Amino acid sequence: MIPACPLAALPRGEAFRLDAVEPPIAVFHTDDGELYAVDDTCTHQDASLADGWLEGCEVECPLHASRFDLRTGQVDAPPAKLPVRTHGVVVEEGTVYVVPSGEAA
Amino acid sequence: MTTSSLPPSVIATLPGGYYTHENIFALEQARIFESMWFCVVRAADLAKPGAFRTVQVGRESVLVTRARDQSIRAFLNVCRHRGARIKTEESGEVRRAFQCPYHAWTYDLEGKLIAAPNLTKMPDIDRVEYGLVNVHVREWLGYVWVCLADEPEPFEEEVQGQVVSRLGDLDSIHNYGIESLEVARRIVYDVKANWKLIIENFMECYHCATIHPELVEVLPEFAEGLATQLYVGHGAEFGEGVEGFTVDGSPGADRIPGVSETQDRRYYGLTVRPLMFINLVPDHVVIHRIFPLAADHTVLECDWLFRADVVRSGRDLEPSIELFHRVNVQDFEACERCQPAMNSRAYARGGVLVPTEHHIAGFHEWVLDRLGTGQLGTGQPT
Ligand code: FES
Ligand code: FES
Ligand SMILES: [Fe+2]
Repeated sequence: MIPACPLAALPRGEAFRLDAVEPPIAVFHTDDGELYAVDDTCTHQDASLADGWLEGCEVECPLHASRFDLRTGQVDAPPAKLPVRTHGVVVEEGTVYVVPSGEAA
Repeated sequence: MTTSSLPPSVIATLPGGYYTHENIFALEQARIFESMWFCVVRAADLAKPGAFRTVQVGRESVLVTRARDQSIRAFLNVCRHRGARIKTEESGEVRRAFQCPYHAWTYDLEGKLIAAPNLTKMPDIDRVEYGLVNVHVREWLGYVWVCLADEPEPFEEEVQGQVVSRLGDLDSIHNYGIESLEVARRIVYDVKANWKLIIENFMECYHCATIHPELVEVLPEFAEGLATQLYVGHGAEFGEGVEGFTVDGSPGADRIPGVSETQDRRYYGLTVRPLMFINLVPDHVVIHRIFPLAADHTVLECDWLFRADVVRSGRDLEPSIELFHRVNVQDFEACERCQPAMNSRAYARGGVLVPTEHHIAGFHEWVLDRLGTGQLGTGQPT
């Protein structure tokens, strides 16, 4: 479990890029108040999805507009073809933690 | 040049070369168009965030847009990576950001760099520092002015001051509520003539009786050739029996509510340097924005603005629009007739200004002063 940022520093509609891990992970706080974490790097080119456009449970890559479902990591349409990995998110005492996939909470 | 040899009735114009030489035009671009407040777009044309226009201001292409907070922003239309034009279209709309078509550097509507391939691997690239280059913006009368100077002159002095010296005060123009009028028609004129010929033409009325028969019917005092612009606060009065500022003297549209009794049945023309004309009549306003593209090529965008309720009523505004459209065509034809002759031996030392045109010498002095090429006669292009 890796600490990302204080929850207060991640308002709804915003993203946080956790670069303490390799590859970096993006944590999103949706307008509905859900928290999701996926690999930050687009599977098409090297773009940061944390810089992308968050809409509902999807993030649109800022460079070529492929959209990734934050719940499943699936991509909707090219140019990106491969999904991103999804990760767990936990909030404890006001801090957002990421649980990288493959690691036990 | 020996100005002293001229008969006292006349004053020399600029030498012909000032209307043709590329080096003079380059100086004008740098010291006039890129240094002063330049009226570029109607704010309402940028209806919502992401709507944009590109305009030519001197040597620069400028991208004008509306940001999320509804404010108008303007940038040099140049990608900070390797210099590609961000937008080549004249107008359009982006959903959320401006993206360079070359390597996809992506800028938000405030110009900040928000994404680029491998950007996270270059944490030392400051996203504001490497954002689009901002230029100064002002909104007035429902129009957007930009200024490419690092430190613009105060807008109040440079732009509004000219209106005050022509009309006497700012209320006189605010009476027309130009920001709340609507564009009923826009006509773009592509004129093969130097921008100064177009300004000089607008400043005098010596030609009115010869080339503007319809205008002189409506404004009989124009037949005398006196420039109304000469007298502070003066507007040319409609002729007897003329019911409106229309091509046939028929009644125009409903009067703009703020127009005062003294402004009723009168026409006011204003030159706002460097590149704008404003024409005020009781029921509408005609505004020219002027874009010099080359020494011998100028594009004018002319807007006819009426009350919003008049525009929406679907009422026939053709007789109103047709009048100034004809004036424009007549004027620009005259300018295009002069342009080829600017290179002639016969015009190497220029022509002459007759007494009703003498005030144009003030415009020439202003141009020479801005160019810093010295007094007329010593600054001839070679
Ligand atoms: S980099 Fe994400 S779609 Fe191209
Ligand atoms: S020139 Fe614009 S992204 Fe490379
Ligand atoms: Fe004219």
